[in-house]
Amino acid sequence: MKKALLAVLLTGLFAVSGLAQVYDVASDTTWPPFEWADAEGNLLGFDLDVMRCIAVLQGFEINIISYDWDIIFDDVGIGRADIGASGATITDERELKVDFSAPYWTSDQAVLIRADSGLNIVTALSGGYTVGAQIETTGAGFVQGLLDDGVDVILQEYTLYPLAVLDLINGNIDAVIQDEPASQASATAEADLTVAGVIKTNENFGFFVAEGDPEGLLPLLNDGVDQLKALGAYDNLVRAYMGTDLTKVEAAWKASIGFLEEGDVVGFALNLATLANQ
Amino acid sequence: MSTIWQSLELLVTKGLPTTVLLTLGLLGAGLALGFPIAFLQVYGYRPFRWLCRGYEQLFRGIPALVLILIFHSGLARSFGILLPAFTSALIALGLRSSAYQSQIFRGAIQSVPQGQMMAARALGMSKLQAIRSIILPQALRLSIPPWTNEFSSVLKDTSLASAIGVLELTKQGTLIFTRIQFVKGVNYILVILILVALVYLVLTYMGNAGLALLERRLRIPGFEMKGKVER
Repeated sequence: MKKALLAVLLTGLFAVSGLAQVYDVASDTTWPPFEWADAEGNLLGFDLDVMRCIAVLQGFEINIISYDWDIIFDDVGIGRADIGASGATITDERELKVDFSAPYWTSDQAVLIRADSGLNIVTALSGGYTVGAQIETTGAGFVQGLLDDGVDVILQEYTLYPLAVLDLINGNIDAVIQDEPASQASATAEADLTVAGVIKTNENFGFFVAEGDPEGLLPLLNDGVDQLKALGAYDNLVRAYMGTDLTKVEAAWKASIGFLEEGDVVGFALNLATLANQ
Repeated sequence: MSTIWQSLELLVTKGLPTTVLLTLGLLGAGLALGFPIAFLQVYGYRPFRWLCRGYEQLFRGIPALVLILIFHSGLARSFGILLPAFTSALIALGLRSSAYQSQIFRGAIQSVPQGQMMAARALGMSKLQAIRSIILPQALRLSIPPWTNEFSSVLKDTSLASAIGVLELTKQGTLIFTRIQFVKGVNYILVILILVALVYLVLTYMGNAGLALLERRLRIPGFEMKGKVER
């Protein structure tokens, strides 16, 4: 009897685990609007919701893990996490460690300054001022490039982007360089800050997996994005997250996530976009 | 105000359990390793003594953060040993704590007068018997006060695990205050950091109070170890 019960239990377990593959998704969740944690600890953001929708469409499950940016490529590269979804620009240097999906977002760099500083995008980057950037980001790479060309600028690197912005508010540095949506989000939240200007870098964001894609995930991710675009859900996610108020998006997300749990990707994105823009 | 309460709730529900689990794991691992090491260092044959001494010097001489990075990133990159972040932190900080704890126990063992060992041996006890029924009961009691010190430091060392992405108190605090920066008109980063500090403070206080209670419970009336040994 006991053995029979055990057998039933075991088969049940295998059946459940056989239903859906679970993949660990690594993300530096300190980077609105692409990924962050709300006041209740829910992880949301453009990247994460695109990933959630892909998971529903492709029939796998994801487990999102808050990661530190400076180790995210190493850890996904060696397979400690399965997928990286962290607003990552596709670069040759990163391609050495990981494989990227097809580009899903194009971004430019924006320079954030204190509104009363009297700087502009040219003086901020060439007048001997200190510019902050998150370590190993393309923004930091841009300033390093200026330095290499002999431009008079000082680069100060941070492990977290918000720490750079905090130092800017506190007056310890003079500018922060970062992807445009994140810079806009900071300028919206802090009245003292403003975006001095945008540098057209035309960077492509990609999701990333271990070198050689041993789990065969890239086709699923690329196809997932294509499906989302065809369904119109992708545009709604963009509309929900880009340029909207952070707390409004959080409220909208909480009201909409039920759709996704029911497997309704289109309803989720539409509801999220509508509520976030009200 | 409600957001502050919410933040505290988040710290306690999502950060605190990992911090407590890691602390208990570290103290347990440190105890399990540190205790035998101390005994080998005092009573073991010479090669054992050297080995233990080397171990203890090694792990007390490397910064905790460097140890964590060695076990998490170093081993993974060079040998393909993929430990989850929590496990890496547990091993690295556990080895470190065992080295410190071994010295606490060594000190306690050595503060039991050698004459007692000789007397026990003269009465016909084996070395092991003497350790078990004469030295150990005294040494264990003597090691509680310095051990509270190790508890306090291990508890706070767990915050270093946030460097490799373990979602414990400090990391949870970081997530909260990085979000606050993006919320319009809200800027109380200091409050969040004070909340994080408070949770550690309360934990340390509670742990120390518990250990003080244990110390009192285990006290033997008349057994004192002050100054000269009674004869």
